[in-house]
Parts: sequence; structure tokens; C-alpha cells
Amino acid sequence: MQPSRREDLRLIQGTGHYTADWNQPGQLYGYVLRSPEAHADIVSLNVEPARAFPGVVKVMTFADVEAAGFKSLVGGVAPNVKGVGDSAMKKPFYPVLADKKVQYVGQAVAYVIAETAAIAQDASEAIEIEYSQLPPTVTVEDSLADGAPQLHADIPGNVGFVYERGDAAAVDEQFKRAKYTSKIHLESQRLIVNPMEPRACLAVYHADEDRYTLYSSSQGIVNMRNQVSTVTGIPQAKLEIIADDVGGSFGIRSTPYPEYMVSLLAAKQLGKPIKWVGTRTDSFLSDYHGRALELNGEIAIDENGRFLAFRWDDRVDLGGYAGGNGAFIGTNNLTITCGGVYDVAALYARTRLIYTNTTPISAYRGAGRPDIAFAIERLVDQACHDHGLDPVETRRKNFVKAAQMPYKTPLGTTYDCGDFAAVMDDALAQADWAGFAGRKAASEKAGKLRGIGFATFLEASGGGNTPSDQTAARFDAKGDVTIYCAAGASGQGHETTFISLFAKELGITEDGIGYRASDSNMAVVGNGTGGSRTLLGQGSSFKLLAQKVIEKATPHAAEALGVTADAVSYAGGSFSAGGKSVGLRELAKKLASAAAAHPFDCGAEGTFGVTFPNGCHVAEVEFDPVTGVAEIASYAAVDDLGNVMQPTLVLGQVHGGVVQGAGQVFGEHAVYDRESGQFLTASFMDYTMPRAATVPLAMKWRGHAVPTKTNLLGAKGVGESGCSGSLPALMNAVMNALRPMGIDNMQMPITAAKVWQALQASEGGAAVRKAA
Amino acid sequence: MYALNYQRAKSLDEAVKLLGAEPEAKLMAGGQTLIPTLKARLAQPSHLIDLARVAELKGIEVKDGVLIIGAMSKHYEVMTSAVVQKAIPGLANMASLIGDLQVRNMGTMGGSIANNDPAADYPAGVLAHNVTIVTNKREIKADDYFQGMFATALEEGEIIIKLLWPLPKKSAYSKFEHPASGYAMAGTCIAQLADGSVRVGVTGAGSSGAFRWTEAEEALAKSFSLKALEGLKVDPETCLGDLHAPPEYRAHLVGVMAKRALEKML
Ligand SMILES: Cc1cc2nc3c(=O)[nH]c(=O)nc-3n(C[C@H](O)[C@H](O)[C@H](O)COP(=O)(O)OP(=O)(O)OC[C@H]3O[C@@H](n4cnc5c(N)ncnc54)[C@H](O)[C@@H]3O)c2cc1C
Repeated sequence: MQPSRREDLRLIQGTGHYTADWNQPGQLYGYVLRSPEAHADIVSLNVEPARAFPGVVKVMTFADVEAAGFKSLVGGVAPNVKGVGDSAMKKPFYPVLADKKVQYVGQAVAYVIAETAAIAQDASEAIEIEYSQLPPTVTVEDSLADGAPQLHADIPGNVGFVYERGDAAAVDEQFKRAKYTSKIHLESQRLIVNPMEPRACLAVYHADEDRYTLYSSSQGIVNMRNQVSTVTGIPQAKLEIIADDVGGSFGIRSTPYPEYMVSLLAAKQLGKPIKWVGTRTDSFLSDYHGRALELNGEIAIDENGRFLAFRWDDRVDLGGYAGGNGAFIGTNNLTITCGGVYDVAALYARTRLIYTNTTPISAYRGAGRPDIAFAIERLVDQACHDHGLDPVETRRKNFVKAAQMPYKTPLGTTYDCGDFAAVMDDALAQADWAGFAGRKAASEKAGKLRGIGFATFLEASGGGNTPSDQTAARFDAKGDVTIYCAAGASGQGHETTFISLFAKELGITEDGIGYRASDSNMAVVGNGTGGSRTLLGQGSSFKLLAQKVIEKATPHAAEALGVTADAVSYAGGSFSAGGKSVGLRELAKKLASAAAAHPFDCGAEGTFGVTFPNGCHVAEVEFDPVTGVAEIASYAAVDDLGNVMQPTLVLGQVHGGVVQGAGQVFGEHAVYDRESGQFLTASFMDYTMPRAATVPLAMKWRGHAVPTKTNLLGAKGVGESGCSGSLPALMNAVMNALRPMGIDNMQMPITAAKVWQALQASEGGAAVRKAA
Repeated sequence: MYALNYQRAKSLDEAVKLLGAEPEAKLMAGGQTLIPTLKARLAQPSHLIDLARVAELKGIEVKDGVLIIGAMSKHYEVMTSAVVQKAIPGLANMASLIGDLQVRNMGTMGGSIANNDPAADYPAGVLAHNVTIVTNKREIKADDYFQGMFATALEEGEIIIKLLWPLPKKSAYSKFEHPASGYAMAGTCIAQLADGSVRVGVTGAGSSGAFRWTEAEEALAKSFSLKALEGLKVDPETCLGDLHAPPEYRAHLVGVMAKRALEKML
């Protein structure tokens, strides 16, 4: 069997190049000593016993990074983003190694470097640290309480930022005229991101050129290099970053971690490469965590069932510091589409960003967008239930209509295109929405509780803070070509997609085309992989690149054909004029020389706008009331992702997103002990990952393309839509099954134990128990 | 993992000798519990004595109405052995529910029983089938063997050689998997022994490890029917409560699993 992606054979056969696969002669090994305390003052720190350990070369603490002039790790909102009353975000200094105080279990305190990884770890146990425990707070609730422990002396009340967007007064007006209102409180619980490849790095210093190389897993080198440079002071031009294969990222590999910075520093100071390979435990404790949002929504509806306004008051758990993209998620991403697919008169959202003694939060598949999509669709469903409105027709009535596109929301976001009603109808037909009553009756007969739910959602994809996406083509001495961009793949299959796209655009076969991402020597810049943007950004740029190659080659073809350039036409991989033709490949080979750059070498760039992938996911969930166990009885989705280039890869993205959504709905939960602040779910023994069998094998999906004009491919993003659709669809199905039992809200994860307990306490549950 | 010395015993004698030679030596069977423990630096043995090549600990056979299973029999062997499938199909089924394919291909019955994880599956079977554990020193009855979470009657220097499973009339096991670990959140094994007596072993739920559910045994001895289990409940006070489930839920599941195991036998 042929693998369906170019990268599969390499990855499956173990010949991929993940970070831990890199080695350098003479390398030393680092080990991070982490805080066992959630909140404590470091009274004393004596690393001498570790230093004296045979085989130990160096032990680094805050003093070392301070002496090196290291800055705070990067995080928080952009400086131009202001909060209520024009306030700036309060960001504590986030030291690479802890200074005087630790704010969460797992915070890096010291870095031991030794001849072997085992020695480094052994020696770390000899470090003497005296902690003076402080009471911790591990939930936003506790951080906001009167007399709550204070994490940072200069941030009283632990509130880092209060952000608002929209028109509060206009929303109030709409609520005054509303016939119906509904509200909902939802938690999008803290998750562990758990990429398959744990974090690692290898730092090399080239003394002769005063230059560094950092091997590390990343989603794109531009952000990585930028932030490493900001923190360490190493000029970007002197920092090469290499990431080949990356085993999953989901958002948390877009920015650097402390280990990378201290390794670079040690590599220079010791003149030897430093390798650090984290364990799964390191991942649980010190990878940025995801989600950790609390959403409180209200909806105003008029007497005709028309939605008037949404009001949000959300709380965002940042963790111990503002790191990664946590603050961006809690401000921009939670609010940018907070009216969803609905045409409403007014929108208002306020979010509060709060510090807790927990691992800092960053992006996790969707980064706030699945969370707000989930909240909107749960709220709409709740409102339909509260007021006896039909969930399908009410949604239809309130959609932004295809004819209204481009549509500007009350917040100023412009949806360029979409046909939400058509997508919904397509999805409901695929799911046999109309036949649900029969299936429910059959379940009931078997003693099961069955519910159906759906969600019509939209998300913003394709943003990015690098102004343009660049690509480049380099032809070698054989006339083969390698194409480059800055976005790193972590399982998406960029190599397959971009080579295919480039070859198709040129009308040539794929052999002899190579692909490389994240090669900082190429000086190609562009956004990292994230926000479901790589195909529409870098892909569009590759399309331009192919055209550039043709442009570059045309004069040479003209010369070869003995005509002027304007007489030459290009099609199907060949230039022709007057009955004669020459192939692009043939020409590339002829012009290749080892001595000089190839004349076809070129670059392309472009800036491509935000797109609004949307969809309708329909789920049915069946509960065994005896045990509380849930099963996803069916799942059928329709997504408008614009034009689809690689159907298999798109399906893989949808499946993966839905599985991660199902993981959050039914199992995943990162839990801290409220009293001690200890992290209770630091391994797979206690952290419930979704399994292949969590979703039905017969999951249905189809595309419903409404191509966008905001990029050259007509593509919208797909990477995160699976989460945005599955969270609300599954939870609406869960509530549809449980509401008749007298259960009106339940927070994720919907574990069997929780459902059973709720049924024990509910009236409906008592009836079911009797019948069973 | 702390540095340690690895030794491979070639015979039971050698294993006993090696174990006796070092106060901090530890046996290794499939390593499925031990190695994660070592990697987490929760144990620091000076020597590891690998039992993989000890022939005396291997083999599965039926003799005189007893299924004899060598301590080093892997879960996968127990699950696929034609001898086990014929003699005690419920045990083959139990083995098939342990962990995943990789774990079953390494983990052993002796290792599991020696470790006595409160959520491991075999202890429920050992109790229900009134198994005898044969060591290099003595024979231990199931009822005397389990002594609370991770605690057994095994003494220093004692090695499990084999387990003697008296052939029951019939038996069955039903397991409710822990959503994260896949171990038993509650697992109930019911065996109707050759003499007609009924034993019920429970794992996963008890706050001091696997236990026999005597009320259920008595009820089933009177009437081997689903009706007999109706209204019977394990006392939640004796059950584990944690992050994943309160004691009441585990107590409830024991009853549900008992019914489901019994359904397979009727
Ligand atoms: C991912 C995963 C999932 C699992 N899921 C389950 C599950 O669902 N159900 C379940 O029951 N178990 C489960 N296990 C545990 C598995 O069954 C192990 O195999 C078992 O607990 C230990 O057996 P072992 O052969 O690996 O022993 P080891 O790990 O090698 O040893 C365990 C202990 O027993 C001692 N020991 C080993 N052999 C002997 C002997 N012959 N005499 C005396 N002492 C001995 C060792 O010194 C050590 O202390 C799981 C394990 C993993 C890693």
C-alpha cells in the first residue's frame, strides 16, 4: 500500500528527524529542576553540592540569566491593545529561571548541565532549596475572592487585564426591548495539549562566527527566532533555527520555552552544544496548557424569535504569568466572532484576565475560537429550549444571509462570504435529522438515553502577525527544485500539499521537487503554522511562486526556441512557440551549473486576509443510565472550508479536530488540588485522552464550498474547525439527552461518574432507575 | 532512572541466589509496572534480576483439575492459550482486557499478582477462583495472599513460581475501565467452583485493594440468578474515592459489573 502523504513513509519507518534525533559531537546534557511548590518564596538556593557532582559541568540559576541580561519571557497582549479605561495590561516579569519566588508547580528553577542526561538529573537532586510555602490559588474564582493570595506584588487582586469590545449601551438597549432572554455559564476547562513528541532542544554556538544554531520543534521559525532574540539579546541574524519533523504542536510550539534560552546561553559559555530532551512529565507540567476559559453569555430575542444582541462576561485563567498567546486568546480570539453566524444589532464582550498558581496558558487547537463558538451555540440552544423555539428554524431566521455578504458585524469584523443556511440544510440532511425520533425510541427501548445536538458555527482563520508570507524556489545543479516557506508542519502534511500545488501550477510532475520549511538561512519570512492559515497564506504564495518561475524562465525559453519572449507561451510544463517547444525541466537542467545561482531562482510573497470557515456539525449521544457512560452514536458534519486541495488531508484535519473536541467533552481535564496547588493529573494514568474509539468509525463529513476571494486559492482554514464544531454539537446532544431527566446544565468533561451522580440526584434519573 | 546493575537469571536457583545476595535487589518480570516506577525515580534498587529466561516460571497446562500457569506467562499468552480458553474461558477474557497489546505482550501474571495494584484485573480472578500461589518457599492461598493496596503475603526473597487455578464449573469477569488508565475502576469476577460454592472477587473499587464480596457470594449460593444480586450493595465506606469517581459510584459499579458478569454465565 502506498502511503497517502509524502512524509508518511519517513515518519512511520522512524527515519524522520524529530528534535531529539539531532546530535552534535561533544554535546552536553541539560536537566531542568522544577518547582515542586505551587506558590512559594525561595528562601535559599544552594547549587554547590550539584556543581561538585562528578560529571557536572555547570549549574545555572536566575543569577546566570540575570547576569546575561535576559529579559522576561514574552507574553501578554500587544502594547497597542488597551483595556477598559485605556488601561495597559499588567504583566509580571516572567523569568527564564525562577527568581526568589515560584508561581506554579513545574516552573523552571535551575538548569544542570552534565556529561550525560542521567548525571544531570542525579545531580539536580543534590541542589538544596528551601521554599517557604504561600497559600496558592488555582482557580479564577479563588484568585478573585476577597483576601485571595497575591501572586505578584504589583498586581493586587490578581487581575492582569480587563478588556472590552463592542457597545455595552447598545446591548443594554436591545435587552430592554427583548421579549425573551436567556443566559448560560460555561467552562472550557484547562487541558493538557499533549503533542506526541515531547519538547526538546539542541543549542549550538559557533564561536568562529559568533553565531548560534537552535534545533527545536516549532510551528514556524519567525516567531520563535523573534522571541528568543527578545529574551536573550542574541541578534536575530546570528540565530539559526532548525525544525525538521515536529510531532504535534496544536499552538504550544509557536513560542520558545526557558530550556531553549538557557541552553543557548550555556552553549556559548561552555563552548559545547547543549542538548535537552524533556519527558512526558515535563510536557504535562511545563508545556503551556490550553483553554481554561469561563464563558458567561446572555442573549436577547424579540417577539418574532429574532436575535437582538449577545452579551459576554468571560474570565480567562492566564496561569502564573502571561506567557505564549494566553492573553491574545483571552482578548481578541474570544471576542472577534462573538456573535457567531447570526445577524444581530449589538454585541458586547468583557473579559478579565486573571493570574492563578498554575502553568501558563497558550494556544490549543483553535485558541479561544472553539470556546466562543461552543458558548454561542450552547447559549442559542439553551434559549431555544427556554422559550420553546425551534432550533433549526430559529437559527435559519437569524443567520447572516448569503445575500448580506460581505457582512460587517457590530464589532466591525467583516465576514466575506458564506451560506450558512445551505450548509445547515446539507448537514441536517446528511445526519437524517428528521429521523431522530425513531432512533431515540429505539434507544429508549434498549434502556438508553439518546440526545441529538447540532451547531452552526463560524471562526476566523488566517490571521497572523507577520505582514506577508514569503516563499522561494532554488534550483540545484541537476535542475531539481526545492521550494521554501517559513511555516513549519507538525503533522499537517505541508510537504505533500505544497509540492502538489506547485507542480500542478507549473503543469509538471512532482518528482524532482523538494520542500523545506523553517530554514532560517533562507531568509524567507512568513507566519507560523497556526490559526488554520498555512494553506491559504503560504499556499497562495506558492501559487505566485510558480508563476514567478515561469516569468523567470520565459526569456531563457525564448532564447532556446529562437524567438522573442512575447512569442512564447507556457502550458503543461512546456514553453512553446511556432510549433517548437522546450520543457521547463529540460531547460532548468540545461541552465544549471554548480558554480552560480540558477537563473530560475526566485521568491514570491503576498498578504492574504482572514477567512471565515464555517460549518454545521450534528451529533447524537447515547447514555447508559446505569453507569452514566456516553457513546457518540453518530457524528455527521458539513464544513464550508472554501476550495479543498487535498481531500484526504482535510478529512484528517476534521477527524483530528473532532476527536480533540470529543476528548474535551468527555474526558480531558487538567486538575489542580485547590488546597495544595499540586497538579493532580500529571500523567496518562489520570489524564483522560480520547481514544480512536471515542468517535464513531462511521463519522460522516462532506465539504460545502463557498470559495473566498481573500486569497488566491479560494481556501478557508480547516485546522481548527473540528474543535469549533464538535464542542457545541456534542454538548448540545448531551444536554438534549439529559434535560428530560431534569438536568439543565453540566460542565465538561461529561464523565460517566458525573452523569451517574447527576442522575442519582435528578427526578428523571429516579424514574430511569426504577425502569431499569 | 537511577543507575543500577542488570542481571539475567537463567534458572530459579540463580534467581533466588541473586535476590538473596543483595539487600536492594529487585525482580523484574515484564517490567510494565517496574520500569515506569524506576523511570519516575520512585524506586532505587541496586540490582534488577530479570526473570525472562527462567524456564521454571513458564508454561501453561491442566493437571488433575487444576490450570497451572507459570508466573512468567504473559497476558497475551493467557488470553490466546487454547488450554486457558478451554479450561477457564473467563480468565482468557480477563487477560484480554488488561492494558493494550504492547502491555499484554510484556506484562506477566506473576508480576501483576506480586505487584497487587488495587486496580489490576487478575486479583479479582485469583480471589474468585480460590487460586493457590506457589512460591520458592511455600504455597499461599488467595485469601491469605492479598494484604491491602500493593501489599501481599510475599516475604523478602520470595519468588512466585506459578499459580494454581482450580477449574471452576464456570466463571466470568466484567470490568469497568478507568477512563484514563484503562485499569479497572471496578471489576467483578464470579466463579462457581467445582464443589458448587460461589466466590466473588472485586478489584478497582476497594479502598484496601481487591476483596471478596461475601454478601454476593452468599446470595448467589442460595440462588444463582440475577435476582439474587438485586438490592445488594457494597458499602461505599469501603470504597475508593478520588478525582475520577466518588466511592458511591465505585460501590455502585461493583454491583453493575457483578450483574454483567453473571449474565455471561447464565
Ligand atoms: C499502559 C499500561 C496499562 C496497564 N493496564 C492494566 C490493566 O488494565 N489491568 C491490569 O491488571 N494491569 C495493567 N497494567 C499492568 C500490567 O498488567 C503489568 O504487567 C503488571 O502490573 C506487572 O507485571 P509485569 O510482569 O510487568 O511485572 P514487573 O513490572 O516486572 O514487576 C512488578 C513487581 O512484581 C515483582 N515481581 C515480578 N515477578 C515476580 C515474581 N515471579 N515473584 C515475585 N515478585 C515478582 C517485581 O519485583 C515488581 O515489584 C498496565 C500497565 C501499563 C504499562
